[in-house]
Amino acid sequence: MTITVIYGNEKQTVEIQGNMTIKEVMDTMDISSQTVVVKKNNEIVMEEEIAEDGDIIEVIRVIYGG
Amino acid sequence: MKKCTKCGATPVIIHRKASGQILCKECFIESITDKVLKGIRRNKLIEKGDKVAVALSGGKDSVMVLDILNSLYERNIIDLFAITIDEGIEGYREHGVEIAVKNANKLGLDHRIASIKDYFGKTLDEIMTDDCREHGACTYCGVFRRWIINKIAREEGATKIATGHNLDDETQAILMNYLEGNIDNLTRIGAKSEPKSDKFTVKIKPLREIPEKEVALYAIARELDVHFDECPYSRESFRGEVGRFIKELSVNHPTIMFSTLKGFDKIKPAIKKEFSGKKVKIGMCINCGEPASHELCRACLFSKKINNEE
Repeated sequence: MTITVIYGNEKQTVEIQGNMTIKEVMDTMDISSQTVVVKKNNEIVMEEEIAEDGDIIEVIRVIYGG
Repeated sequence: MKKCTKCGATPVIIHRKASGQILCKECFIESITDKVLKGIRRNKLIEKGDKVAVALSGGKDSVMVLDILNSLYERNIIDLFAITIDEGIEGYREHGVEIAVKNANKLGLDHRIASIKDYFGKTLDEIMTDDCREHGACTYCGVFRRWIINKIAREEGATKIATGHNLDDETQAILMNYLEGNIDNLTRIGAKSEPKSDKFTVKIKPLREIPEKEVALYAIARELDVHFDECPYSRESFRGEVGRFIKELSVNHPTIMFSTLKGFDKIKPAIKKEFSGKKVKIGMCINCGEPASHELCRACLFSKKINNEE
């Protein structure tokens, strides 16, 4: 399963195995879910949401120093 | 699929771990707005007829304050305008000022923009490249910014200055001052300032009980024009270290910031009673005429040093 993750100016294609939540995807990328707001296919979602094949996940860093 | 615990709608955008609430976009925006307005009433932050100056940086916090207070302005409960300070931080502040202008214009509000360089002769970047500087960037920035905002607020006849301090900021301030033993500073933390001089305009913090992440979520859900850039000087500060520590604690203890604030507010009257005994006489700065507890106010003292006027 492949998803696209946009974080800041970087856009990367991420291969994931089975059912992974967005938080789990972010953990593998070392992104703290406490400091970001996530949009999935342009809609705000909770980090518990399951990532699905073809999803475009935009991770917006909103808090610094944390 | 999870449903909003308030209205049953999908999709949902937040799971508040501290309360268990799961909310859709509309219920989240409504709950935040209600909470802020209730806090304003409970703490008597604003009275009908107030002229409120919002210290508007263009960041999520101050833009959210402007957005919510604008609802009171539209109902003719208050008069409202914005003040933006250009600290002179290259590659960071220009964007914030631009966003601040857009927000004030969108709402049709008066907007004063002032720079640290205009008032004190140097940008923050210039101050920080001087080897003789005696303080960190946040100290200069805070002192100069507060001086300018207070002066402009008074010139414009403001009765309140609203700032964007959120729950994270407030718990950081409580912990920082406690850890450093600044008990005098602790006595001054609160939703509303109690100025020692009538030349200081009362400052209010409408977002004091709103977690920083929810402020950001509100800004994005409301599609407000904000900037999320990081101030290049923020990493240097002790506040940043304390902030990281509290956020780490919050992962396993999601109510920790709320309880820190609540506990502090309960104990504050006792701290004030015990430790605010030393009455500092507030006079007038011999240089600028602003309130000061010594011959020179702190802003003039710093200004003289950075401009080698001593």
